[in-house]
Amino acid sequence: MTDAPVEERQQLDADEAALVARLRAGDERAFDDVVTRFYPSMLSVARGYVRSRSVAEEVVQEAWLGVLNGLDRFEGRSSLRTWVLRIVANTAQTRGVREARVVSISSLRSESEEPAVEPQRFRGEGDPFPGHWWSYPTDWRTLPESKLLSQETLDVVKNAIDELPEMQRTVITMRDVAGCDSDEVCQTLEIGEGNQRLLLHRARARVRTVLERHLDA
Amino acid sequence: MREPTREFEHGYTCNQVVELATDYVEHALPPQLVEPFEMHLNFCDGCFTFVEQIRTTAELGGRLTEEQIPEETKAQLLAAFREWQQR
Repeated sequence: MTDAPVEERQQLDADEAALVARLRAGDERAFDDVVTRFYPSMLSVARGYVRSRSVAEEVVQEAWLGVLNGLDRFEGRSSLRTWVLRIVANTAQTRGVREARVVSISSLRSESEEPAVEPQRFRGEGDPFPGHWWSYPTDWRTLPESKLLSQETLDVVKNAIDELPEMQRTVITMRDVAGCDSDEVCQTLEIGEGNQRLLLHRARARVRTVLERHLDA
Repeated sequence: MREPTREFEHGYTCNQVVELATDYVEHALPPQLVEPFEMHLNFCDGCFTFVEQIRTTAELGGRLTEEQIPEETKAQLLAAFREWQQR
Protein backbone atom coordinates (compact mmCIF):
# COMPACT_ATOMS: atom_id res chain seq x y z
CA MET A 1 0.00 0.00 0.00
CA THR A 2 2.97 2.27 0.53
CA ASP A 3 3.62 2.02 -3.20
CA ALA A 4 0.10 3.10 -4.11
CA PRO A 5 -0.12 6.29 -6.12
CA VAL A 6 -1.11 9.35 -4.13
CA GLU A 7 -4.62 9.55 -5.63
CA GLU A 8 -5.23 5.88 -4.83
CA ARG A 9 -3.93 6.38 -1.30
CA GLN A 10 -6.23 9.38 -0.83
CA GLN A 11 -9.16 7.37 -2.15
CA LEU A 12 -8.34 4.61 0.33
CA ASP A 13 -8.12 7.17 3.11
CA ALA A 14 -11.51 8.57 2.12
CA ASP A 15 -13.10 5.11 1.99
CA GLU A 16 -11.62 4.29 5.33
CA ALA A 17 -12.74 7.56 6.91
CA ALA A 18 -16.26 6.79 5.68
CA LEU A 19 -16.06 3.31 7.17
CA VAL A 20 -14.90 4.64 10.54
CA ALA A 21 -17.74 7.18 10.50
CA ARG A 22 -20.26 4.37 9.89
CA LEU A 23 -18.82 2.34 12.75
CA ARG A 24 -19.04 5.31 15.10
CA ALA A 25 -22.64 5.82 14.04
CA GLY A 26 -23.43 2.21 14.99
CA ASP A 27 -23.86 0.83 11.46
CA GLU A 28 -24.08 -2.92 12.02
CA ARG A 29 -23.34 -3.81 8.42
CA ALA A 30 -20.11 -1.86 8.57
CA PHE A 31 -19.27 -3.66 11.80
CA ASP A 32 -20.04 -7.05 10.27
CA ASP A 33 -17.86 -6.19 7.27
CA VAL A 34 -14.89 -5.12 9.38
CA VAL A 35 -15.13 -8.03 11.81
CA THR A 36 -15.28 -10.54 8.96
CA ARG A 37 -12.42 -8.98 7.02
CA PHE A 38 -10.06 -8.37 9.94
CA TYR A 39 -10.65 -11.58 11.88
CA PRO A 40 -8.11 -13.80 10.05
CA SER A 41 -5.21 -11.37 10.45
CA MET A 42 -6.24 -10.61 14.04
CA LEU A 43 -6.14 -14.30 14.87
CA SER A 44 -2.75 -14.74 13.23
CA VAL A 45 -1.32 -11.82 15.22
CA ALA A 46 -2.76 -13.18 18.48
CA ARG A 47 -1.32 -16.61 17.74
CA GLY A 48 2.13 -15.07 17.44
CA TYR A 49 1.92 -14.14 21.11
CA VAL A 50 -0.12 -16.85 22.78
CA ARG A 51 0.37 -20.53 22.37
CA SER A 52 -3.11 -21.88 22.51
CA ARG A 53 -5.66 -21.40 19.82
CA SER A 54 -8.51 -20.90 22.31
CA VAL A 55 -6.59 -18.20 24.20
CA ALA A 56 -5.85 -16.51 20.87
CA GLU A 57 -9.58 -16.42 20.13
CA GLU A 58 -10.22 -14.88 23.53
CA VAL A 59 -7.53 -12.28 22.83
CA VAL A 60 -9.25 -11.35 19.57
CA GLN A 61 -12.60 -10.92 21.33
CA GLU A 62 -11.05 -8.87 24.10
CA ALA A 63 -9.22 -6.76 21.52
CA TRP A 64 -12.56 -5.94 19.86
CA LEU A 65 -13.76 -4.43 23.10
CA GLY A 66 -10.57 -2.34 23.10
CA VAL A 67 -11.30 -1.33 19.51
CA LEU A 68 -14.82 -0.19 20.40
CA ASN A 69 -13.57 1.73 23.42
CA GLY A 70 -10.89 3.44 21.37
CA LEU A 71 -12.84 4.07 18.18
CA ASP A 72 -13.73 7.65 19.05
CA ARG A 73 -10.05 8.40 19.52
CA PHE A 74 -8.88 6.73 16.29
CA GLU A 75 -7.19 9.50 14.29
CA GLY A 76 -6.36 7.69 11.09
CA ARG A 77 -2.62 8.08 11.45
CA SER A 78 -2.30 4.42 10.47
CA SER A 79 -4.79 2.32 8.54
CA LEU A 80 -7.76 1.05 10.53
CA ARG A 81 -6.51 -2.51 10.21
CA THR A 82 -3.00 -1.65 11.45
CA TRP A 83 -4.53 0.16 14.42
CA VAL A 84 -6.77 -2.82 15.18
CA LEU A 85 -3.87 -5.26 14.86
CA ARG A 86 -1.79 -3.12 17.24
CA ILE A 87 -4.59 -3.44 19.80
CA VAL A 88 -4.57 -7.21 19.31
CA ALA A 89 -0.80 -7.32 19.90
CA ASN A 90 -1.12 -5.16 23.04
CA THR A 91 -3.99 -7.25 24.35
CA ALA A 92 -2.02 -10.44 23.78
CA GLN A 93 1.03 -9.01 25.52
CA THR A 94 -0.92 -8.05 28.60
CA ARG A 95 -2.35 -11.55 28.96
CA GLY A 96 0.46 -12.27 31.40
CA VAL A 97 4.06 -13.28 31.39
CA ARG A 98 3.45 -16.96 30.86
CA GLU A 99 1.20 -16.72 27.84
CA ALA A 100 2.53 -13.56 26.28
CA ARG A 101 5.83 -13.25 24.56
CA VAL A 102 7.88 -10.51 23.03
CA VAL A 103 10.39 -10.81 20.22
CA SER A 104 13.62 -11.35 22.05
CA ILE A 105 16.92 -10.53 20.43
CA SER A 106 18.14 -14.04 21.19
CA SER A 107 15.23 -15.63 19.33
CA LEU A 108 15.92 -13.45 16.32
CA ARG A 109 19.60 -14.28 16.46
CA SER A 110 19.10 -18.02 16.59
CA GLU A 111 16.71 -17.71 13.67
CA SER A 112 19.18 -15.61 11.73
CA GLU A 113 21.80 -18.32 11.98
CA GLU A 114 19.56 -20.93 10.46
CA PRO A 115 20.45 -21.45 6.79
CA ALA A 116 17.66 -21.17 4.22
CA VAL A 117 18.84 -24.36 2.52
CA GLU A 118 20.54 -27.36 4.12
CA PRO A 119 24.33 -26.88 3.86
CA GLN A 120 24.74 -30.39 2.39
CA ARG A 121 23.04 -29.14 -0.78
CA PHE A 122 26.14 -27.07 -1.56
CA ARG A 123 29.67 -28.08 -2.51
CA GLY A 124 32.24 -27.87 0.26
CA GLU A 125 35.50 -26.01 0.67
CA GLY A 126 37.64 -28.69 -1.03
CA ASP A 127 35.54 -28.56 -4.20
CA PRO A 128 36.60 -26.46 -7.21
CA PHE A 129 33.23 -24.69 -6.89
CA PRO A 130 32.70 -24.24 -3.17
CA GLY A 131 29.28 -22.93 -2.18
CA HIS A 132 27.60 -24.03 -5.44
CA TRP A 133 24.70 -26.43 -5.69
CA TRP A 134 25.44 -30.14 -5.90
CA SER A 135 22.15 -30.59 -7.69
CA TYR A 136 19.70 -27.91 -8.64
CA PRO A 137 16.24 -27.56 -7.14
CA THR A 138 13.56 -28.74 -9.55
CA ASP A 139 11.57 -26.30 -11.61
CA TRP A 140 8.05 -26.35 -10.17
CA ARG A 141 6.73 -24.53 -13.22
CA THR A 142 7.07 -27.82 -15.12
CA LEU A 143 4.65 -29.52 -12.74
CA PRO A 144 1.05 -29.91 -13.82
CA GLU A 145 -1.04 -27.19 -12.22
CA SER A 146 -3.33 -29.91 -10.86
CA LYS A 147 -0.45 -31.07 -8.67
CA LEU A 148 1.08 -27.72 -7.73
CA LEU A 149 -2.27 -26.21 -6.77
CA SER A 150 -3.88 -29.36 -5.41
CA GLN A 151 -5.61 -29.36 -2.04
CA GLU A 152 -2.95 -31.82 -0.91
CA THR A 153 -0.17 -29.34 -1.71
CA LEU A 154 -2.05 -26.51 0.00
CA ASP A 155 -2.46 -28.72 3.08
CA VAL A 156 1.30 -29.28 3.08
CA VAL A 157 1.81 -25.49 3.02
CA LYS A 158 -0.71 -24.95 5.80
CA ASN A 159 0.84 -27.61 8.04
CA ALA A 160 4.34 -26.29 7.37
CA ILE A 161 3.22 -22.79 8.42
CA ASP A 162 1.56 -24.17 11.56
CA GLU A 163 4.83 -25.83 12.56
CA LEU A 164 6.90 -22.63 12.34
CA PRO A 165 8.25 -20.81 15.41
CA GLU A 166 5.67 -18.24 16.56
CA MET A 167 7.10 -15.04 15.11
CA GLN A 168 7.93 -16.64 11.77
CA ARG A 169 4.42 -18.06 11.63
CA THR A 170 2.88 -14.70 12.46
CA VAL A 171 4.91 -12.82 9.87
CA ILE A 172 4.33 -15.28 7.01
CA THR A 173 0.63 -15.54 7.84
CA MET A 174 0.21 -11.78 7.91
CA ARG A 175 2.22 -11.22 4.74
CA ASP A 176 1.45 -14.18 2.49
CA VAL A 177 -1.89 -15.48 3.75
CA ALA A 178 -3.63 -12.30 4.96
CA GLY A 179 -1.94 -10.02 2.42
CA CYS A 180 -0.66 -7.38 4.86
CA ASP A 181 2.19 -5.19 3.66
CA SER A 182 5.53 -5.04 5.44
CA ASP A 183 4.79 -1.67 7.13
CA GLU A 184 1.67 -3.15 8.67
CA VAL A 185 3.62 -6.10 10.04
CA CYS A 186 6.42 -3.89 11.41
CA GLN A 187 3.99 -1.53 13.13
CA THR A 188 1.86 -4.31 14.56
CA LEU A 189 4.69 -6.42 15.91
CA GLU A 190 6.93 -3.41 16.69
CA ILE A 191 9.86 -4.86 14.82
CA GLY A 192 12.19 -3.24 12.32
CA GLU A 193 12.01 -3.68 8.57
CA GLY A 194 15.16 -5.83 8.57
CA ASN A 195 13.86 -8.19 11.24
CA GLN A 196 10.54 -8.45 9.49
CA ARG A 197 12.28 -9.53 6.30
CA LEU A 198 14.52 -11.94 8.16
CA LEU A 199 11.56 -13.63 9.82
CA LEU A 200 9.74 -13.78 6.48
CA HIS A 201 12.82 -15.23 4.81
CA ARG A 202 13.26 -17.95 7.42
CA ALA A 203 9.56 -18.77 7.26
CA ARG A 204 9.36 -18.97 3.48
CA ALA A 205 12.61 -20.95 3.32
CA ARG A 206 11.30 -23.53 5.79
CA VAL A 207 7.98 -23.85 3.99
CA ARG A 208 9.84 -24.14 0.68
CA THR A 209 11.93 -27.01 2.05
CA VAL A 210 8.82 -28.88 3.18
CA LEU A 211 7.16 -28.23 -0.19
CA GLU A 212 10.23 -29.48 -2.02
CA ARG A 213 10.11 -32.76 -0.11
CA HIS A 214 6.45 -33.12 -1.00
CA LEU A 215 6.65 -32.10 -4.66
CA ASP A 216 9.86 -33.99 -5.48
CA ALA A 217 8.62 -37.21 -3.87
CA MET B 1 22.72 -30.72 -15.56
CA ARG B 2 25.41 -28.29 -16.65
CA GLU B 3 28.60 -28.11 -14.66
CA PRO B 4 28.98 -24.81 -12.88
CA THR B 5 31.53 -22.47 -14.39
CA ARG B 6 33.44 -19.61 -12.88
CA GLU B 7 31.11 -17.29 -14.71
CA PHE B 8 28.44 -18.19 -12.21
CA GLU B 9 30.07 -16.45 -9.38
CA HIS B 10 30.00 -12.76 -10.13
CA GLY B 11 30.87 -12.16 -6.54
CA TYR B 12 28.30 -14.55 -5.09
CA THR B 13 28.19 -18.24 -4.38
CA CYS B 14 24.87 -20.07 -4.52
CA ASN B 15 24.70 -20.55 -0.76
CA GLN B 16 24.95 -16.75 -0.39
CA VAL B 17 22.39 -16.09 -3.10
CA VAL B 18 19.73 -18.22 -1.40
CA GLU B 19 20.07 -16.09 1.74
CA LEU B 20 19.36 -12.92 -0.26
CA ALA B 21 16.36 -14.33 -2.12
CA THR B 22 13.73 -12.70 0.09
CA ASP B 23 15.50 -9.33 0.09
CA TYR B 24 15.50 -9.59 -3.71
CA VAL B 25 11.83 -10.50 -4.17
CA GLU B 26 10.90 -7.84 -1.58
CA HIS B 27 12.86 -5.23 -3.58
CA ALA B 28 14.94 -4.61 -0.49
CA LEU B 29 18.35 -5.53 -1.86
CA PRO B 30 20.74 -2.55 -1.72
CA PRO B 31 20.82 -1.05 -5.26
CA GLN B 32 24.49 -1.83 -5.80
CA LEU B 33 23.83 -5.54 -5.14
CA VAL B 34 20.92 -5.96 -7.54
CA GLU B 35 23.01 -6.21 -10.70
CA PRO B 36 25.51 -8.81 -9.42
CA PHE B 37 22.59 -10.74 -7.93
CA GLU B 38 20.67 -10.79 -11.21
CA MET B 39 23.85 -11.60 -13.10
CA HIS B 40 24.25 -14.67 -10.90
CA LEU B 41 20.64 -15.68 -11.63
CA ASN B 42 21.25 -15.30 -15.35
CA PHE B 43 24.03 -17.82 -15.21
CA CYS B 44 22.82 -20.16 -12.50
CA ASP B 45 19.72 -22.24 -13.18
CA GLY B 46 19.78 -23.56 -9.61
CA CYS B 47 19.53 -20.15 -7.99
CA PHE B 48 17.06 -18.88 -10.61
CA THR B 49 14.84 -21.84 -9.77
CA PHE B 50 15.29 -21.29 -6.04
CA VAL B 51 14.09 -17.68 -6.29
CA GLU B 52 11.10 -18.85 -8.35
CA GLN B 53 10.34 -21.46 -5.68
CA ILE B 54 10.39 -18.78 -2.98
CA ARG B 55 7.90 -16.73 -5.03
CA THR B 56 5.73 -19.81 -5.54
CA THR B 57 5.85 -20.55 -1.81
CA ALA B 58 4.55 -17.04 -1.09
CA GLU B 59 1.83 -17.42 -3.76
CA LEU B 60 0.68 -20.76 -2.38
CA GLY B 61 0.38 -19.11 1.05
CA GLY B 62 -1.98 -16.61 -0.57
CA ARG B 63 -4.18 -19.47 -1.78
CA LEU B 64 -4.80 -20.82 1.69
CA THR B 65 -8.28 -20.24 2.94
CA GLU B 66 -8.09 -17.83 5.81
CA GLU B 67 -9.73 -18.78 9.04
CA GLN B 68 -13.30 -17.60 9.01
CA ILE B 69 -14.80 -16.01 12.05
CA PRO B 70 -17.06 -18.49 13.87
CA GLU B 71 -20.72 -17.39 13.78
CA GLU B 72 -20.90 -17.59 17.56
CA THR B 73 -17.96 -15.21 17.96
CA LYS B 74 -19.50 -12.83 15.46
CA ALA B 75 -22.79 -12.85 17.37
CA GLN B 76 -20.98 -12.07 20.63
CA LEU B 77 -19.08 -9.21 19.01
CA LEU B 78 -22.24 -7.81 17.51
CA ALA B 79 -23.84 -7.88 20.95
CA ALA B 80 -20.85 -5.96 22.33
CA PHE B 81 -21.17 -3.48 19.46
CA ARG B 82 -24.85 -2.86 20.28
CA GLU B 83 -24.02 -2.42 23.94
CA TRP B 84 -21.28 0.04 23.03
CA GLN B 85 -23.83 2.02 20.99
CA GLN B 86 -26.06 2.34 24.06
CA ARG B 87 -23.39 4.14 26.07
